[in-house]
Amino acid sequence: MNETLHVVQKLSDWRVRALEFEQEIQKAVIGQARVVRLVTICIFARGHVLIEGDVGVGKTTLLRSVSRALGGDFARVEGTVDMMPSDILYHTYLGEDGRPRVDPSELLRHAETLPVFFFNEINRARPQVHSLLLRLMAERSVSAFNRVHHFPYLNVFADRNMVEREETFELPAAARDRFLMEILMAAPDDEDARRRLVFDPAFHDTETLLERVNPGTLDYRETPAIARAIQTHVRSSDALERYVLNLWQALVEPSSAGVSLPDVDLDSLVKGGASPRGLAALVRAARVRAWLEGRDYLVPEDVRDVFIEVMAHRIFVDPIHALRGDDIVKRLCRAVFDATPVP
Amino acid sequence: MRIACLALVLAATLPACAQETTVRIRSARPFGYFVGDLIHARVDVSAPADAVLSRASLPNPGPLTGSLDLRDVKLSETSENGAHLWRLDLTYQNFYVALDARDIEIPGFELSISTATGARTIAVPAWRIGVSPLREVAPRKQEQASDYLRPDGSSAFVNEATPLNLAFASGAAALLALLLVARDRAWPPFQQRKARIFSALAREISTRRSADDATLAATIQSVHRGLDRANGPILLSGDLPEFLRRHPEFKPLRSDFEQFFETSKRLFFGGESSMDDDCAAEQLAQFVSKLARQERSG
Repeated sequence: MNETLHVVQKLSDWRVRALEFEQEIQKAVIGQARVVRLVTICIFARGHVLIEGDVGVGKTTLLRSVSRALGGDFARVEGTVDMMPSDILYHTYLGEDGRPRVDPSELLRHAETLPVFFFNEINRARPQVHSLLLRLMAERSVSAFNRVHHFPYLNVFADRNMVEREETFELPAAARDRFLMEILMAAPDDEDARRRLVFDPAFHDTETLLERVNPGTLDYRETPAIARAIQTHVRSSDALERYVLNLWQALVEPSSAGVSLPDVDLDSLVKGGASPRGLAALVRAARVRAWLEGRDYLVPEDVRDVFIEVMAHRIFVDPIHALRGDDIVKRLCRAVFDATPVP
Repeated sequence: MRIACLALVLAATLPACAQETTVRIRSARPFGYFVGDLIHARVDVSAPADAVLSRASLPNPGPLTGSLDLRDVKLSETSENGAHLWRLDLTYQNFYVALDARDIEIPGFELSISTATGARTIAVPAWRIGVSPLREVAPRKQEQASDYLRPDGSSAFVNEATPLNLAFASGAAALLALLLVARDRAWPPFQQRKARIFSALAREISTRRSADDATLAATIQSVHRGLDRANGPILLSGDLPEFLRRHPEFKPLRSDFEQFFETSKRLFFGGESSMDDDCAAEQLAQFVSKLARQERSG
């Protein structure tokens, strides 16, 4: 009993700190409250994030702010077409004596203290690199120098280049499924935020901007334990579980659940995805959201709020629709929510 | 040209060699023409079946005498009793300015026909009509008073099928147009009063007597389904501002809505089982009756 009270108190304290964490990030990244909330959810759900967005909207600033607020190290690699897995693991150079040297890369050196690993333009890298990343994300470990290196606090943040098609390699379904969320980051809609971003010199210098973020607002070493506590503490009622299962059923067989989209044959739309792992990720993220909202039980709004970011990139549709981007999947998700009654 | 009846019959019995050939001239009336009047005459020429009429022998429209014009010639051919019948409808115009009632002559003409026995001519004899000054009509003296009478005009055969069909089609088109207009203007029966979801729900809830947890849960679910129907898509508490914007009649009930969603959340998702069922059921019934009242006013 005392232990339960202790956990409740601890979660309550951590919720306050998580909200402070969001405030700290928003000192450097303005007009992106929802993106910051989603990133916070990912950190406490221990999930990896695929960030999608135009160049120059502040993706790197966001991740560096997160890294600074979490404490710990920050590693970053740029995806290129000739990159090999060894480039991520090893640092090769010529020593002062002229001999070739192989040292651990930045990623390996910081393995034990790395909460944020940013992979820029992940779809520029080849499938070999994707498969290394797959293991890194799934098991939080890699093999190098004849031993296994563990990354106990690692969250991978990747960015996809959505502009160019040449010399890019689309992420395989398995790799996409490993990302907890795919977050769309666009320029802020708020006019005041836009004006400040353009005219306020403080936002022109990233290094100075980052200094606004109080370092170590959260202790990244505690996040795994807190994440576990959240998942066990936040309850899901029978009605909520039935609701999530109904949503799943409606995604897989939309027409049987009365879901319809104009001009789309839903019987042949969904070809794959919406896996049990995807639904489990959905519930993990929804639980964190419920915790951040100050509840110890899930409500449908928690599920709906994170649904598109968690599920849309895991649903694979007929190629004829896939060519038109992921808009159709988002429309399907909204239609599923519009047609699934609750409670 | 419609010639009313037989008024004047001039049957020319031709010489022996042409006994099968007859000429019959009819006109609307033999008297009572004034200056400028049109004189309609029908000349029926019957000949053996193998006879062929030379079209060149037909009279040509134009002045015939100083005071008579031929205005129009129409020819039709039929067969009658094994004989060939040519029907010439001739229209003359009289320009004779009569100072007293008198007869004038309509000149005759000849038609050429060719038969198996050779070509020959058929003479259409001259005939006379009575012209009158404008002031009086002076028919020729007749022995019988009844001879002055003209026969009744023959009644024209009118086919009623076409007008009837047209009438029905027009009626149907008008009805269809009326329906379309009525639908567009939302006239009855198209005004389609919005279904009174919450009135029906209030009646349904009032029939539920027991106040246990299961009944309360079922009632809350019924209210959710009612709200879903009113909203279209499924309504969650987060959608409330948008719902109230689209249904302003429910705006005064904002706090009731929030309370309802909170109760529903606690019961279905929060796992709360210590609710005062009687009180909650009473509040729910009040909420639904308020919804019904606002719905009727909306």
